[in-house]
Amino acid sequence: MSGQMSQESDNEYSDDHIEDDEDEYDNYYYDNNDDLDLDKPKKSDDPEYFEFDLLKVEDVERLLNEEVEALCTSLKITPSLAKMLLHAHGWQRSLIIERHQRDPEKFLVDSRIVADKKNISQDNIMGLTHTCPICVQQLSKDEFQALSCQHLFCNECWDMHFNIQINQGLTTGIECMGKDCKLLVPEDFICGILKDTSMREKYFKFSFTDLIKSHSQLRFCPGPNCSIVVQAKEPKAKRVECNMCKSTFCFRCGIDYHAPTDCDTIKKWLMKCADDSETANYISANTKDCPKCHVCIEKNGGCNHMQCSKCKSDFCWMCLGEWKTHGSEYYECSRFKENPNIANESVHVQAREALKKYLFYYERWENHAKSLTLEEQTFKNISTRIQEKVMNNEGTWIAWQYLLKAADLLKKCRYSLQYTYPYAYYLDRGGRKELFEYQQAQLEAEVENLSWKVERAEISDTGELENLMDIAEKRRLTLLKDFLEV
Amino acid sequence: MSTPARRRLMRDFKRLQEDPPAGVSGAPTDNNIMVWNAVIFGPHDTPFEDGTFKLTIEFTEEYPNKPPTVRFVSKMFHPNVYADGSICLDILQNRWSPTYDVSAILTSIQSLLHDPNPNSPANNEAAQLYRENRREYEKKVAAIVQESWNDDEDDDDEEEGEKS
Repeated sequence: MSGQMSQESDNEYSDDHIEDDEDEYDNYYYDNNDDLDLDKPKKSDDPEYFEFDLLKVEDVERLLNEEVEALCTSLKITPSLAKMLLHAHGWQRSLIIERHQRDPEKFLVDSRIVADKKNISQDNIMGLTHTCPICVQQLSKDEFQALSCQHLFCNECWDMHFNIQINQGLTTGIECMGKDCKLLVPEDFICGILKDTSMREKYFKFSFTDLIKSHSQLRFCPGPNCSIVVQAKEPKAKRVECNMCKSTFCFRCGIDYHAPTDCDTIKKWLMKCADDSETANYISANTKDCPKCHVCIEKNGGCNHMQCSKCKSDFCWMCLGEWKTHGSEYYECSRFKENPNIANESVHVQAREALKKYLFYYERWENHAKSLTLEEQTFKNISTRIQEKVMNNEGTWIAWQYLLKAADLLKKCRYSLQYTYPYAYYLDRGGRKELFEYQQAQLEAEVENLSWKVERAEISDTGELENLMDIAEKRRLTLLKDFLEV
Repeated sequence: MSTPARRRLMRDFKRLQEDPPAGVSGAPTDNNIMVWNAVIFGPHDTPFEDGTFKLTIEFTEEYPNKPPTVRFVSKMFHPNVYADGSICLDILQNRWSPTYDVSAILTSIQSLLHDPNPNSPANNEAAQLYRENRREYEKKVAAIVQESWNDDEDDDDEEEGEKS
């Protein structure tokens, strides 16, 4: 489970043995032909290259316990205390040891583990009994407990407090009940008081999650019901693929991978899209009229290069313009043309222009998302087509695999292309934006070329298809290299 | 029936009677110790001075582990009080501690009248006037101080009505 995975192993197919073939092929290709293979990107050249491990819950428990024990021995403290320190300081052991050595008392006070001298309560138990300030019951003094702040409460009230806090999802953040007391309650204190064993289990379950969340090198796989934890040396915004549930996500923020857009921008964009969904709803219709013969056309593939089934005219799904003008290097369809005189217009016009700009980018973002789902279908169709072709003795099964490889690469390129739109939306006008939009247009044109070809490829076109694949991936990597900031 | 919450509320009531803090008063309703009525007098040297503001406090059986719901019944104009009378105060939400009692709640609300926090506004208009146009703010507050007396008169009328 903890095998190293890199971006190189991206081209996974549904059949395991294909993947094996692929790996052997890759190994052969990379290990022996390095000098001849100048065109292929090396690991250090790949802007998306990222090393990570996929861990099971048991592995993570062992890993965390090792870190806790290591701190226990170096600072001579209890595991419960060590856990609190590691959680509070993002598991940076050397930093914790350094600060502890400099001034242990101040460090523990700052970490809310030991009470500040001026905050220690003075009400000691005088006689044999004491009144709990919470439930106002007079009880024998051994019914009472306190943390180092000496805020005394009866066991029953502590238990009630912990129950309520745990049910609200709090564990590592549970504080003393004292007025204005922010001292954190350690695990061993809580477990010594909690009577209900199911509550104790709940505590451990939630606190384990808390500990992982505080660890910058670990992240839960966001896939539904997936218990895999990803471990990476550096918390970068790179792509991670879970080999259990197959979900891909960004290691830094845990949502869908979003290069070249960064974590903060994509969050802003997704929030905006959620807010403005009503306005954008009208554009989500799946049909458009052919610009020439006006027959109603449903988009049934991912490619934006449309050909009307009736009048056979070629046009672009996005702008409904003639496709011929798109195919060359001047692809303008991805570029939003801002009104250069906008600052002098009225507020009303500015608002309308802002909405127009947003809808422009949203429409393209949404369209690529839809194309991706449609291309999933194409991928399935290809598999059936290969079966048929092989049965009819048109080419061998091996020879047809290149088509699946092309479909997979198409998906990867279109995915990156989709995430260029939020980036472009938030990019300020200027030379950098022009360069970005130029590269985006180049990628867009190649993605559409590839998509068109993949949907129609025959065995005789292998060379042409491979050429298209190579160009598309190069365009994608060039854009990411220039604009992916991690 | 005595539960921990009820027992604690009895103690709170006793403490409020024996050691009443200045400018606040409160008592359980006649037939339910879990619902209280309270009055806060507008603190001196504030625009709220001389106002008599009524509140209700509703407790659950989880009290004092969970805070009660406190709400102004009298009309309020304050940056941290919502239109429905509920109050945006940290100790009534995330900074609640089971050691707080009714007396502490009422005095905290009283000091909130003294020092509004316009940075977490529950009433945007009040927060904006408090920051930018203090004279207009005080005028609006003076109006609700007046209204707080009218509440009393209404109640008196009702009581008289009941008597006759």
